[in-house]
Amino acid sequence: MENATVSYVQLLREDLAIFRVVPEGPFPEYKAGQFLTLGLPVKSENNRVISRAYSIASHPENKKYIEFVIRWVRKPYPGRLTTAMFNLKEGDKIQWRKANGTLTINDKLPNGEPDKRRIVCIGGGTGLAPFVSFAQHLHDVGDKRELVVLHGASYVDELSYRERLTDLELESIDRGADKWNFKYRAAISRPQEWLNRSWTGQVGRVEQFLRARPGQISPLEELVGEKITQENTMFYICGWQGTIDGTLDFLGNKEFVTERNKREDGSYEVKFESYG
Amino acid sequence: MGMAEEIVTTQSYEKLCSDVLYSNESVRFVGLVNNKSDLLHSVQKKDLDPLLDDDEIKISINYSLERWRKAQNLSFRLGHEKLTLTEYEHVTLISIPYDGKLLLISTQPTIHYHEMIQAIISVIPPWEN
Repeated sequence: MENATVSYVQLLREDLAIFRVVPEGPFPEYKAGQFLTLGLPVKSENNRVISRAYSIASHPENKKYIEFVIRWVRKPYPGRLTTAMFNLKEGDKIQWRKANGTLTINDKLPNGEPDKRRIVCIGGGTGLAPFVSFAQHLHDVGDKRELVVLHGASYVDELSYRERLTDLELESIDRGADKWNFKYRAAISRPQEWLNRSWTGQVGRVEQFLRARPGQISPLEELVGEKITQENTMFYICGWQGTIDGTLDFLGNKEFVTERNKREDGSYEVKFESYG
Repeated sequence: MGMAEEIVTTQSYEKLCSDVLYSNESVRFVGLVNNKSDLLHSVQKKDLDPLLDDDEIKISINYSLERWRKAQNLSFRLGHEKLTLTEYEHVTLISIPYDGKLLLISTQPTIHYHEMIQAIISVIPPWEN
């Protein structure tokens, strides 16, 4: 594994933090949506290096650091690596292995033509990370496609990139959708809890954005202003298996097809990555 | 959960809260909350001035749940939490995990905690931890 230095640690809550690492030597190449394997020697394992893949939240155009948003795993037992990571201080060393992963943005259709469909990203918890990378990447390269990022969390203080994504949406409104077409919405699954008392946005699991109430269109269709079809929308999903299953359950009923089950002509409308 | 099962469950919550409320004369209030902050049932003794208003009760429930959730992070070493007692000047708050939920009890300040807790625990039916 290669070496890097931790340059920034921001604790968002006891079990959620943003980490930035600066690799030693050449900056690694990666695509928006990929993950990097991080490793640390763990005391309880006789200082053996324990490693695990984490989705990159920063974008390939940012050559200053690589950013991650990581949850401290505590149940049923504290995660060995995440416990060590949450003890890290700025300036500490960490190890990394090259980027990998297939949850990357499709720029072309199977027939070779540009994929101009709307991109809808659905992230549960820290499954938002690849879509923060998507948003910043598409923004920096001047991509004109419509991008919608939907984030699901239990509590408002888990909306880790709310400020950055809201700023990107405000910029979209200021500049016009013909130049930068971006929308961000979040759903809170425990609206009745005291910590969430100020929440006025979508409630329930993030996949609720796709479900229409009787006689109404879905919140997603209301947001984009048209019916969602295979021809106009490509979905990317990342999160716990429950988020993936809940979203696929809805999309499958609408005859959307995943990359793992693509049609004979190679076409599909859903890519997903599960972490658990 | 079916309707019949729900009615039985609600009846069991009512009985549990009522049994705890009258297990000792010092008990003022008993409530049962799930891990999503839903107050499933609550009972209190009549003719007592409430110490907290509705918003403050929500805050108190939130603090009790937060403390309980965090305490569970060390249960792999310490075992499951059985009871927590916080003594204030005007009231004593007791929380007891019960079947994935949290039983919240407030009592008059008293020095006879052991006796009172024994009385409370004696009326709580056993459950799988």
